[in-house]
Amino acid sequence: MNAWLRLPRSWRAYTGIATRSMQNTLAYRLSYVVNFASSFVLLIAMYALWNAIYAGRDELAGMSWTQMKTYLIISFISNSLLSYYSETRISGKILDGSVSADLLKPLDFQKARLAETLGSTVIEGGLTVIITFIVVLSASGILKPDFIHSLLFILSILASLLVKFGIVYIAGLLCFWSTGSLGIVWARMAVTSLFSGALVPLSFFPGWLEKLSLVLPFQGIVHTPASIYLEEVNVWGALGLLALQCVWACVLWLCGKLMWSWAVRQITIHGG
Amino acid sequence: MSILRSTRRTLFLYRRLFGTQLKAILEYQTDFFIMIVSAVLTQLLGIVFLWVVYNRIPDINGWTFWEVVFMYAMIYLTEGFGSLFFEGTWRLGGLVNRGELDVMLLRPVSPILQVLTNGIGMNGLGNIVIGFIMIGQALTKVDLHWSFGKILIAILLILTAVAIRVSINLAANTSAFWIKNAGNAFPIMIHNLGEFAKYPITIFSMGIQLLVAVLVPFAFVSFFPAYYLFDKSTSPWIWLAPPVAAIYCGAVAYMLFRIGLRKYESAGN
Repeated sequence: MNAWLRLPRSWRAYTGIATRSMQNTLAYRLSYVVNFASSFVLLIAMYALWNAIYAGRDELAGMSWTQMKTYLIISFISNSLLSYYSETRISGKILDGSVSADLLKPLDFQKARLAETLGSTVIEGGLTVIITFIVVLSASGILKPDFIHSLLFILSILASLLVKFGIVYIAGLLCFWSTGSLGIVWARMAVTSLFSGALVPLSFFPGWLEKLSLVLPFQGIVHTPASIYLEEVNVWGALGLLALQCVWACVLWLCGKLMWSWAVRQITIHGG
Repeated sequence: MSILRSTRRTLFLYRRLFGTQLKAILEYQTDFFIMIVSAVLTQLLGIVFLWVVYNRIPDINGWTFWEVVFMYAMIYLTEGFGSLFFEGTWRLGGLVNRGELDVMLLRPVSPILQVLTNGIGMNGLGNIVIGFIMIGQALTKVDLHWSFGKILIAILLILTAVAIRVSINLAANTSAFWIKNAGNAFPIMIHNLGEFAKYPITIFSMGIQLLVAVLVPFAFVSFFPAYYLFDKSTSPWIWLAPPVAAIYCGAVAYMLFRIGLRKYESAGN
């Protein structure tokens, strides 16, 4: 018996989309490998840079070099979970007008895009996590959390994926008002990178910027999983952070929904 | 005389091709604006990073804040020139995959020139403006002894940096002749190697230093100019290295393009 057949009918379409997206990702193996290699280059650059920054210093902004190393890896993993490719696919549909075909389908656009994103994330993210952990385990001096924190970390990585999807989806919908996606993607990356803690741990920020980052949703992408992994919070604190991530994921989802229903009313599709 | 004439013709053609692209771009004003804003945001992000780090420490391996800002700015500035005037390099992959290069091969104009002018990245304008502001700030904030010769060399170093950057872009994008994949990420990977050259390369391991100083010589865009201008070098002739690297990069890129072109077979219909 196929396990999917037992899922509610309405789910099957979405699991179908996710599976197709998985197959799609597998079909473009080479581009995944090159993408991975190119973001790995950035990780190496950051690693060497921080190594030089920490030279002759025990700690900076309350973080030791060991913690910093671990932080870089965590930030790398949570950043590569949702690839550039899935990001441009949302905007691509809008820009080339194929969104009109989606309007005809009896599917929710947002859920379908989430299914698509999760599908490719299973392959890409899974591979990234495995490769990274092999690298990490062979490199000494990377911290490993206790069991309960590891568990909470995995949950928060999953939640971070939902938060990031919410942000990426909203940014993708902005393409209804533009004719290119590159600028929007870059701007989104810059803002996310700054406020999520991917650029530099939030504790390095001056007080006001740190406070600002903590009230924005972006922190859920890197800062939250990293502080759980580094055991900077106790179990209750971690659960609180997880709850906050989920709240943000829901808020962003609703914003995306509102935006979609508004955008679709003013859609113009060329040709046809 | 004929060299002079062909150079003039090339410049004239470049202006005309660029002008056509510019008109096309300005049709979409929202995009124009978004691209510039996003480029500025990305650049400021790099500066925020440096600012946050240098708030905690006085120097990295002997390099102060403004010296590293200069290297950052050189990378951004050259990227800006590359995008604004030679964005076409990034579209070579698309041209090859869709077989659109055919059109260019039929025209009596150098295919390289046509590829280079096959687009304008308006983000480049943001990069160039912010890049120049940052370079200006860095060069005034660091206590330097300027002479007439040094000013000329500084201008020369900026020009060669642009040449190196564009050559590397073109060379990396010629990979499209061999990797026939719609999402060819190889050029992006090469582009990302530029990240290393935003910092004094001496902080990296030997392998990485060789990579960005010899194989993909981004170091001549930022590090060596900084090394000369901030008087870090004992040799007064170090400024000669970037122009030599520029000639080398240009030659390699040109050759790769020619070899690739010979290999090019159109997407069959």
